[in-house]
Amino acid sequence: MKFRKSWLPAHILVWAYAVLLAVPLYYFLASAFKSNEAIFAHPLAPPTSFGFGNFRTAFESADLGMAILNSGIVTVFSLALTLGLAIPAAFALARARGRAGAAIERIFSLGFLIPTFAALFPTFLLSAATGLFHTRLFMVLFLPATAMPLSVVILIQFMRTIPPEMEEAARIDGASTFGVLRHIYTPMCMPGIATVLLLNFLTFWNEYLYSLIIIGPDPDLRTIQVALPTLKSQIGTDYGILTAGTILTLVPVWIMYTLLQKRMQQALVSGAVKM
Amino acid sequence: MTMTSSVRPASRQAVPPAARRERRGPRTTILALPALVWYLVFMVGPMVAIFVIAALHWPGMLQPTSFAGAGNFQALFDDPVFWQAVRNTGLQMVIALPVMIVCAYMVGYYVAQKPPGHKVIRYLLFVPGLISTPAKAMVFYAALSPDGLVNGALKSVGLGSVTDAWLANPDTALYCLIALDVWAGIGFTAVLFAARLDSVPEEIGEAAQLDGAGHWRAMWRIHFPVIKEYVGVVTMLQFLWTLFGSAQQVLLLTQGGPANSSTTLSFLVYEKAFMESDLGYSQAVGVVLFLAGLAGLLAIRRVFRQSY
Repeated sequence: MKFRKSWLPAHILVWAYAVLLAVPLYYFLASAFKSNEAIFAHPLAPPTSFGFGNFRTAFESADLGMAILNSGIVTVFSLALTLGLAIPAAFALARARGRAGAAIERIFSLGFLIPTFAALFPTFLLSAATGLFHTRLFMVLFLPATAMPLSVVILIQFMRTIPPEMEEAARIDGASTFGVLRHIYTPMCMPGIATVLLLNFLTFWNEYLYSLIIIGPDPDLRTIQVALPTLKSQIGTDYGILTAGTILTLVPVWIMYTLLQKRMQQALVSGAVKM
Repeated sequence: MTMTSSVRPASRQAVPPAARRERRGPRTTILALPALVWYLVFMVGPMVAIFVIAALHWPGMLQPTSFAGAGNFQALFDDPVFWQAVRNTGLQMVIALPVMIVCAYMVGYYVAQKPPGHKVIRYLLFVPGLISTPAKAMVFYAALSPDGLVNGALKSVGLGSVTDAWLANPDTALYCLIALDVWAGIGFTAVLFAARLDSVPEEIGEAAQLDGAGHWRAMWRIHFPVIKEYVGVVTMLQFLWTLFGSAQQVLLLTQGGPANSSTTLSFLVYEKAFMESDLGYSQAVGVVLFLAGLAGLLAIRRVFRQSY
């Protein structure tokens, strides 16, 4: 492919969009180290000093430390439960030959189209009915259900690539079903499991509306995504603090993305469209 | 999907019991039940409940309920706020979806040609897919508030007269929300299209070049038909995310205001349930949202039907 002169408008337009993506991020990073006056006077000037005063204020006034911990707890336990449910299910469905297996697989592959935030109010009723309203536990139980269709469908695809001879050989050596799952399927599906973990890590960490309604605004329980918008009202419009708080919520995701860039990109692409 | 067992024993007696079981197919489907039950209880159950609650008269959490039949829908169709929300959601779809998909396809095509610097662009395109909705909303809040980034930039280039309180103006609030959808949507969708275009055989592009097709023609006449179906699926997903997900952006940025000018159907469901405690009405809007989603999916499927 040659990039002749006729490409000039395309270059300009695409880079303009790239700048539109980059500028707000830069603005946030720069503002996090500035006072309000400096932000208003020179919104795009680089900060003159790198003090962490804004971060400290954001941390204390919105109790962000506790919120990050809560987000971490919910995310980690939800991820564990997601894998605990999805791996056996995918193992069973990938090997099943009966009608039941096909039907269950169909349910999961259709469920992938149902948006997770469709039934907020009935879910809230369910949390009240089970006595788990305003607890993190309900979110830990609920989030894996939202992730089930995608996780099962992705894992099935990986498990189908494992030749049945591997299982036959292990069976002849006297392996149980559980042994086959543990020693053959799970190790051989590690890339699939990594994909499911990364995708759901992003979804669970970034979940907002259900956390807001079900866990609620109690500073001891709320997640980071629920705590973040409160900075807006608590501090009025001190942008330095608001931007610093926003950056704090992005740190775990950004670390993950930088460490696992290739894998994360593959996971997001493969997870978006599965039909 | 069926798997044919590769075990073809010569005689019956030589078959170990494990292999015989293998030929009948493993009986482990029961292992899929926990995941299925979980999904039915937490996702499908609440989904069905929407339709039940929509037929109830339920004026608040602790109030007694009574059967309302189609009463909620009657109230809905007589409510100007509902029609305002229908209009806003319609506008949102008609503007955001085409702009998002067309721009994302062009950006994706550009990146897939691997021009200089495409790695940097790919890195940036992922950004909106990684940031949570509250964080994106804070970005827009900081950019669009009266003394924020947009007005600061306008002032510095001498357009101070154009500055506005964008989120507090009934004429612009909805368009700010649409801008957020488009800004975040293009990046991630472009990445998906680029990944799909990467897997289109190179010969197709080369053959087009030999025929003297310009890039514009190659993009729309040659590559687009190849991945048309995929574009359709991505459009469906973006449609559903925007339709059902807009409640979050509205709640974070405008709360439907000023004067309902930015109330979308999805936010109306939230507002009626958690702010005004009119539960039957709220879930009736939920039913409307579902039907709109279904109608939209079928329409999108028709538009993108593979034509070869």
